[in-house]
Parts: sequence; structure tokens; C-alpha cells
Amino acid sequence: MAAPLQCLSQRLVNWARIKSPWITLFNSGACNACDIEIIACLMPRFDIERFGILAKGSPRHADILIVTGHVTLKQASRLRRVWEQIPEPRYVIAMGACGASAGAFHGLYHVMERVEDVIPVDVYAAGCPPRPDEIINAVVTCLNLLKEDQVHGGKEWRQRRVREIMEPMERKAGI
Amino acid sequence: MTPPLTLDFVAEKMNEFGTADLVRSNRIRIHTTPEKVSNAIKYALDTLGCDRLVTISTVDNGRTFELLYHLIGPHRTVISIAVEVPRETPDIISMSGILPPAGIYERQIHDLFGITFRGHPGLSKIILNEDWPPDEFPLRKDWKKNPDTYYGGIRKEGV
Repeated sequence: MAAPLQCLSQRLVNWARIKSPWITLFNSGACNACDIEIIACLMPRFDIERFGILAKGSPRHADILIVTGHVTLKQASRLRRVWEQIPEPRYVIAMGACGASAGAFHGLYHVMERVEDVIPVDVYAAGCPPRPDEIINAVVTCLNLLKEDQVHGGKEWRQRRVREIMEPMERKAGI
Repeated sequence: MTPPLTLDFVAEKMNEFGTADLVRSNRIRIHTTPEKVSNAIKYALDTLGCDRLVTISTVDNGRTFELLYHLIGPHRTVISIAVEVPRETPDIISMSGILPPAGIYERQIHDLFGITFRGHPGLSKIILNEDWPPDEFPLRKDWKKNPDTYYGGIRKEGV
């Protein structure tokens, strides 16, 4: 599908956004291992700044939010508030086993089940904790999604695609 | 350097507050009652040379709540003052007046076990979320998570 016609300034902004994604971190109750892996990303061995990925302190400056860890009940409303401050188009990476299913903390009294219960997640980085190369891979996956979303004009096409794949399978299984 | 305290010395000094026993080589536990705990801690601070509070730990042993005030000083011997609080009326005097750092531990114990500390200047929530139901205490042994109760955080339908 061809990209819809956009004005020059819009094309310039999109080009710049893909060349230099700014990320912000949010520790929603993690054990700190994920945060250490992100610090390793910033250090000279992996050095994500050479790809233009820049860690920012404020969510208002960021394009991508990285949520490390499970979401405690106390952090849930704070996480939602941080996510609301990020300007569109915003993307969320949930890190590790905790982001997907609360991991080792699943079923505890003060823990939400998944990050997806609080904010919509675009990419999951697998591992406990994920290695720095997996974090870089997650950010690059996010950028590919960003490119495709620009072609399709929004994020809705992804849910449509999932429905197109799932519905015949469910019909076959008789669900 | 101050030499470590011996069990005999502490047992003789703290005789009026209760029995003492040696838990580990550098850890002496004194079993006392809720009425005498304030005086026992004051005595340990003034006479035994303890000058700081390590932590207050709480045990739910099924019958009572056991509070342990761990005090330490330059002699590097931990004096643990143990008190048993009844489960029906979990209520004890606050130590935040004579030991200011005790206040923050007492707020945490109030959150998780529901023990009330008399005379504490502000027993508000510290570790649980603000909209946690008021009569649920998650670290009690008889507590179970109720699937119908809303424990705060964010409702899933809101996403």
C-alpha cells in the first residue's frame, strides 16, 4: 500500500522520528535487573546513542515508553499518568517476564496481572531480564511498527490483522 | 572499641523487664510485656549503650503478633526486645516519641498487620496504595485475596 499524501513538514517530522527515537524509562515496581540492563545499553559496549536512541528524563520529550517490571497497585495510576503525558504517536515496550504476566510476582496481593491492564503495549521484550541486544531489537521493532502505522494511518490495522487471522481459526475450532 | 555485651550482663541488668536468652552469638532477645516495653527500650538506650534502631520486625505466629525491636550500639550486640500483642485487640504504645525512626516502621506494620500504635502522630498509609480497603491486612496469616473485592489501582475495564 502506498503512503498517503503528506505535506513536507509532516514527512520531515516522520523521517526525523524514525532516525532518532527518544525513550523514557518507567520502573513500575521491578526488581532493578531490567533497569541495570538498560543502563548497560547506554554504556560504551552497546552504546545505543550511536543509533540515535536517546534516553530522556521527561515523558513529555519521549516517543517510546519502556516499562520495566510488573505494575504494583500503587504505581498503576502513576504509570497511566506518565503514559498520558507522552505526545502522539507513542509506543510502549513492556520489558521482561514481569511486563507480560507479572513473572515471579504473579498472584501477589499488590500486583496487577499485566502491563496491558493499565496501558496498551506495542512490543514485549522477552527475558528475565532481557539482554541489551533484545532491548535494542524491541526499539527497532517499534520503529518498524511506526513506519507501518504511518502507511496505514493509525494503529487500528494491527487489531484488524489479528482478527483476520484469528477468526477463521476460531471458526474451525468451533469457539 | 567497646567490647560486646554478654548474656549474663544483659540478663542481670534487664531482669525487671523479663527473661533474656542468646539467639545467636551477638544477638540477645528479651521477652517482655506490652506494659513494660516502653521502659525496657528506654533502659536499653540509656544504660546498655544502644544508640540506634535496626528495625522492628513482626511475626504472625497464629496466636499472637510478636513485635521485635532490634537495637544496636557501638558494642555491636543486637538487643531484640520481644513483645506479644493479642490478635483480638492489636494495640500497643508507639515508640516514635523516644525513638524517632521507629515511626516509619510502625506505619508499615500498621499497613500490613493492622496493629494500632497509640500516640503515633500520623498513622497513614505508607506502603500500600491509597485506595486499599481499610480492613484488609495482607501479611496476616488468615488473610486471603478475595476475587470480588476491589483492591485499588486501576480498573481493567478502563483500558
